[in-house]
Amino acid sequence: MFLIGHGISVRSDLPIPEWLFGWAAAMVLVVSFVALAVLWPEPRLQKPTWRPLPGGIGRVLGSRPVEIICGAIGIFLFGLTIYAGLRGTESTTANFAPIFIYVIFWLALVPLSVLFGDVFRAFNPWRAIGRAVAWIARTASRGELPAPLEYPAWLGRWPAAVGIFAFATMELIASNGDKPDSLAVAALAYSAVTFIGMALYGIDRWIDRAEAFSVYFNLFSRLSVVETRDREVGLRKPLSGLPQLKSLPGTVALLAVMIGSVSFDGLTGKQPWNNISPDIAQFFQDRGLSPQHALEATFMLGLIGAVLFVAGFYWLGVLGAKSVGGGFSARRLAHEFVHSIVPIALAYVAAHYFTLLLFQGQAIAYLISDPLGKGSDIFGTADTQIDYTLIGANATWYWQVAFVVAGHVAALMLAHDRALALYEDNRKAVRSQYWMLGVMVGFTSLALWLLSSANA
Amino acid sequence: MSRNQRIGLIVAAVAVAVLAFVIASPGGDDDGDKASQTTATPSTDTTETPSTDTTERQTEAPAPPKPTVTRIDIRGGQVVGGPAEIHAKNGDTVVIVVSADAPDDIHLHGYDIEKPVEPGKPATFRFKANLEGEFELESHVAEGAGREPLVGTLIVEPR
Repeated sequence: MFLIGHGISVRSDLPIPEWLFGWAAAMVLVVSFVALAVLWPEPRLQKPTWRPLPGGIGRVLGSRPVEIICGAIGIFLFGLTIYAGLRGTESTTANFAPIFIYVIFWLALVPLSVLFGDVFRAFNPWRAIGRAVAWIARTASRGELPAPLEYPAWLGRWPAAVGIFAFATMELIASNGDKPDSLAVAALAYSAVTFIGMALYGIDRWIDRAEAFSVYFNLFSRLSVVETRDREVGLRKPLSGLPQLKSLPGTVALLAVMIGSVSFDGLTGKQPWNNISPDIAQFFQDRGLSPQHALEATFMLGLIGAVLFVAGFYWLGVLGAKSVGGGFSARRLAHEFVHSIVPIALAYVAAHYFTLLLFQGQAIAYLISDPLGKGSDIFGTADTQIDYTLIGANATWYWQVAFVVAGHVAALMLAHDRALALYEDNRKAVRSQYWMLGVMVGFTSLALWLLSSANA
Repeated sequence: MSRNQRIGLIVAAVAVAVLAFVIASPGGDDDGDKASQTTATPSTDTTETPSTDTTERQTEAPAPPKPTVTRIDIRGGQVVGGPAEIHAKNGDTVVIVVSADAPDDIHLHGYDIEKPVEPGKPATFRFKANLEGEFELESHVAEGAGREPLVGTLIVEPR
């Protein structure tokens, strides 16, 4: 059987032992019930709070020169990735492109966003190129550019959901998804789509709603205390960024893709999947697909199944919350609570991939000296090696459990606060919370199970 | 509920959590044993009748002073009996002997040991397993030819 999936799986984590899995799952329940009893009785997170950084630092960080420098760095890294992907050696770990895309861009930007706010917005190469082109066009035509088309309201965050799904397909399913040249071609194709979108609907509108990675990292940056407003960097109250998330069509789908794809990556190492997937692959093979394509089709089915499962489970909780009364439609409730799922999505990513980031992230030290994998040594670091002793299995398990439980607690707080603001009757607010609590305990237990040795 | 009651409840919950953790967590040596019980899946090695024939892959009984030897044989581009699963604890000496009927390059990821194999000239990997996690043992020839490169998986658990 062909093994597809993480091309960068040089080292994988050991599953969490059963005793720790059991303890962590019990803790999630204890935390949940304690939270119901002790959380605040009045909404606290709904009003935006923001203060600029003292001493004018915020203004400097948000200034035009800083923006131009960050944008230029973003464009340089993008260009280097494409160049290495097309011209470099066809190896996943010896070429700059796969490690940069899957580890530095996709994984390292997540903790950076949570700590420092929406950093990807500053370094986003597509936004930087778009703004530079618009500036040149404005200067050349000595006037205002024609107004962009109105972005259709129904489209919402759907393009971002589709984009993240496509990225997950590339990462987890496509058998050439870890090949440098395929990655470079995919990145160029995605760039073309992004430039067309920005040209039609305006740079900022497309970046805010449709450009998959901007939307993805912006969601995580809303957990940060750092926020930029009107070109000035400032601080806000913890967790007060997510309630400001505009509920747009496709947001639930985007969260389902985010959680579903990480879940599927975990599931592929588990017994239930290994039991059924050969039969499904055989089914496709009997219908004329090559073994490799049959396996890709099987994995595609699994990924879609995982995303639908996550979405379905969330909707189940929403329908339960609707049954409490209060006169809200299911669609309204689904949108009112979707921001509270973001910390859980973060916990999934953090627990699953933090060792991959910690270990494979070190590869960037030798790749900056030898980006093409052809023996150059620009900075004299081409001979450095990855230190796999950085963190042991025990410490990894405790960090994983800590991420999952912390994400659960943050999600509970956000949902609780929104329920208080939404329902006039506090009793109804609490009753609706039993349902959202059920959803979160479900997601959190699934996260722990996927990481554990149960059915491994 | 008053502020003090809330704090009291949180303190009580934390105390229960710590107590449950202490009771649940298997201490010292017990830890490793339990972990290996729950994670080790029976590989084909232990069920096969031990044979001295080198074409058969076999694992000796884990007698402490003697390092466990895992034999892997590649025939016609396929691992006989499927990719091996090699279990070890941090600090163990691991010995893996790979033989093949065609020239090959075998690479153990993470530990980053690469050895050539030729017909009649098996490659012997002997090292101290001091990195925890799961590591892949791959055939570079199979990888280059677009075939499944996985020859075995090394699983190193904490002590």
